[in-house]
Amino acid sequence: MTETRTSPVSAPTPGDGSPGTGALSPLGITGWSRWGWRQLTSMRTALVLLFLLALGSVPGSLLPQQGIDPAAVQQYYTSHPALAPWLARLSLFNVFAAPWFAAIYLLLFVSLAGCVVPRAFRLARSARALPPPAPRNLGRLPQAARHQTALEPAAALAAATAVLRQHKFRLRTGDGWVSAEKGYRRELGNLLFHLALLALLGAVGLGGMFGYKANRLLVSGTSFANTVTALDEFHPGRLVSSADLQPFTIALNRFTASYVTSGPDRGQPSDFDAYLSYSAQPGSPVHRDDLRVNHPLNLDGVKVYLIGHGYAPVFKITDGTGKVVFNQPVPFIAVNTAGLTSEGVIKVPDARPYQLGFAGVFLPTAVDVGGTLESVFPAPIAPRVSLVSYKGNLGMDSGPPQSVYQLNTAGLTRLPVAPRPLAVGQSIKLPGGAGTLTFTGYRQWISLAITYDPGQVPALIAGLAALAGLLLSFFIRRRRMFVRAYAGPDGRTVLDVGGLARSDPAGGFEEEFAGLADALRAACAGSSTPTTTPQGERD
Amino acid sequence: MVVNQGLSHLSDQFLIVTVALYSLAVLAFAADFAFGRRSPAPAAAEVPELVPAGVSAGAGAPGAGGSGAVAPGAVAPGSGAADGAASGVDGGAASGADGGVDRGAARGLSRGSQAGQPAGLWVRAGISVTALGLAAHIVGVIIRGFAVHRVPWGDMYEFVIAVSCVAVLFFLGLMIKYRPYYLGLFFMAPIVIIMGLAQTVIYTPAGPLVPALNSYWLAIHVTAITLASGTYVVGAVLAVVYLFAERHARRVAAGLPVRNTEVFRLLPSAARIDQFAYRTVVFAFPLWTFGIMAGAIWADQAWGRYWGWDPTETWAFITWVVYAGFLHARVTAGWRGRRAAYIQLVGFGCLLFNLLGVSIFITGLHSYAGLS
Repeated sequence: MTETRTSPVSAPTPGDGSPGTGALSPLGITGWSRWGWRQLTSMRTALVLLFLLALGSVPGSLLPQQGIDPAAVQQYYTSHPALAPWLARLSLFNVFAAPWFAAIYLLLFVSLAGCVVPRAFRLARSARALPPPAPRNLGRLPQAARHQTALEPAAALAAATAVLRQHKFRLRTGDGWVSAEKGYRRELGNLLFHLALLALLGAVGLGGMFGYKANRLLVSGTSFANTVTALDEFHPGRLVSSADLQPFTIALNRFTASYVTSGPDRGQPSDFDAYLSYSAQPGSPVHRDDLRVNHPLNLDGVKVYLIGHGYAPVFKITDGTGKVVFNQPVPFIAVNTAGLTSEGVIKVPDARPYQLGFAGVFLPTAVDVGGTLESVFPAPIAPRVSLVSYKGNLGMDSGPPQSVYQLNTAGLTRLPVAPRPLAVGQSIKLPGGAGTLTFTGYRQWISLAITYDPGQVPALIAGLAALAGLLLSFFIRRRRMFVRAYAGPDGRTVLDVGGLARSDPAGGFEEEFAGLADALRAACAGSSTPTTTPQGERD
Repeated sequence: MVVNQGLSHLSDQFLIVTVALYSLAVLAFAADFAFGRRSPAPAAAEVPELVPAGVSAGAGAPGAGGSGAVAPGAVAPGSGAADGAASGVDGGAASGADGGVDRGAARGLSRGSQAGQPAGLWVRAGISVTALGLAAHIVGVIIRGFAVHRVPWGDMYEFVIAVSCVAVLFFLGLMIKYRPYYLGLFFMAPIVIIMGLAQTVIYTPAGPLVPALNSYWLAIHVTAITLASGTYVVGAVLAVVYLFAERHARRVAAGLPVRNTEVFRLLPSAARIDQFAYRTVVFAFPLWTFGIMAGAIWADQAWGRYWGWDPTETWAFITWVVYAGFLHARVTAGWRGRRAAYIQLVGFGCLLFNLLGVSIFITGLHSYAGLS
């Protein structure tokens, strides 16, 4: 724990060649920017930025995020009306797109580039450089060993060189010594890892520019074409226009869901299958696909995922004039997962003399639980619909666009209909001659996510490169070996071996050194067998 | 596919036996501390003579450098190679029971002081019982896999059991290879607590998986994360022991009063513990990276995006960043040692929060814990 202290006056001196104490003003813009750059690219700053990045991500997981769950953000606003606007001002509902978050990771990546790029050049320069000459006294190196051999110094050195060459060391020989170095790929791996991270950021950016995400709810028996108007939600990248959408069409023929029917996990889904027909573009042949979770459909690089499902009860509505003004399935959204109790609304703007509106609950397996009807199983075993009926003005002709899942009851009056759950085929006769509603059946719907991300493959390659770089830099150590051979005082040749690991935070070089030292000794002893002295045999 | 309840119960029973055996191992390791008979430590001066020239003798010196540096004096000074080699051979014999121990001491965690000692009765009992427990543990995990017809780390209970299995496996390998006998207590006690909690608080009966988990990526992604987490557990235990040993060494160096000297004398040196803690992270970090990448590929298959800042993804990222910070701190002046150990523990805290906090308190796409 030693901390270097700079004198208070010259605290921000730019290191080498600093003008000395009290020289703040002559530093100038170049000096300051050089100082700033050095600070930014120092490991200490990188460390601080890394921790800021970790810390900055925390609120993104604890607070609801706009990009992931907008409804939860709305919920948060309702329950914390005073706090929420402040959090919003700090972009805490959108952390991963927040300017301050971008500032952290951009600074980090600049810091990284500033550190890594010069190192890459240095590595390139050292690619053909020879190891330094052997130091005079090898006994002072972190690892050292001394052997004696009957070989002449030159022959011993030649044998040692052969061993080191066999171990793929880069060699440099001199008068009575040889120095060797190995493990250049460690730095290569290190650089590869960091450059791959830069590339990964680029790939993510590429996806954000040229990719798009969309959602579409598709009722069984219907189809849609991949156009902006046919999509329920469309989030294009910055450089994507509606003309860039791949012109495929998809129809849902049938959807089946299977559930666990017994045991503690009763009601848990076990399989979803959406049987689709699709054609890649108008006029091209129609293919069939069984779309399942974990098995997306790939259409010209666009992927289509099954991400949700639900029920769409079918209603036939006759208005006060006796005309059938509505006869179609209405997608209801599940409000609980255990029994798939689903809610939805029906809007009948064409009904006369009054427009009609209904808010309903669909229960796939309705069971009377203590006076209230509840759904106890997600499969449609005993489907019931319970509705609240309104007449009046739906407010759809003017004002802001409405959600199809919400009824604006401002211009509506509730009709006095006895709340009675409908089984398939049953009807409600609306009072006052407003019309009739019949629950004629139900269908299933699926929701599809459609994504196009051209950055995906580059991101994968960058990730794999980062992993490869990581492994190289972790499991290769850069080390130097030195050997000196000379005639000892007793006339026998002394073989001095020294070793130095240049980067070995995990340790372990001493074992490798011991092995190499043994190999060197064996090489010198082995080739001298015919002429060894009895003492030498103990080597 | 239907869960085989009989096999599931059998697995539970094996795992209860496992915890019982691990508890016995903890008792044995504790008994070794309390009653273990050991010969007095050899004087530091004789250690270099017992070790072949060139092989580290520094292990005997308290506070030897992180890379196990040989003191320059270890090179047999002017005495000639024949002597050095001879002393290597003789030393092997002189050190008694196990000639290979010297090497183990040089490579690993053990101190010179215990290098020549064979494992005591209590240690041998502790290791044997741990090995037996590990066998029951592995069998229990495998049977659970057969009961549910998939890899047996699909819900949180299974995950915790599998992670502790990896940690014990790693620990036992460490024991056999490097013989840091006196760390046994510090490893096995947390493992017993973790497994006990797993079987009581977060126990989930064997069940089928939701469709989103039905993928061979479960085997790849969760296996990598399990292996990495198990290794991180070992690293975290080492970091805690390191912090105590380092504090003790610092107080000794400063001449301050110290307690439990006997305990710390038996433990490997702080530098050795630190080095091994680092090695566990070096092993776990690429696995963790791979696990996150495999998860991203799977997320792309299942949810239509490879990264979406789901709470679990976010915390996996935070954990990754903190451990990356640890790796960088290890090569930054002023951050080595204690600070790095604290960073490692923060990283482990993030890992735990991701496993427990996020699974239980935060709803996300990874809410598969089976708890409600």
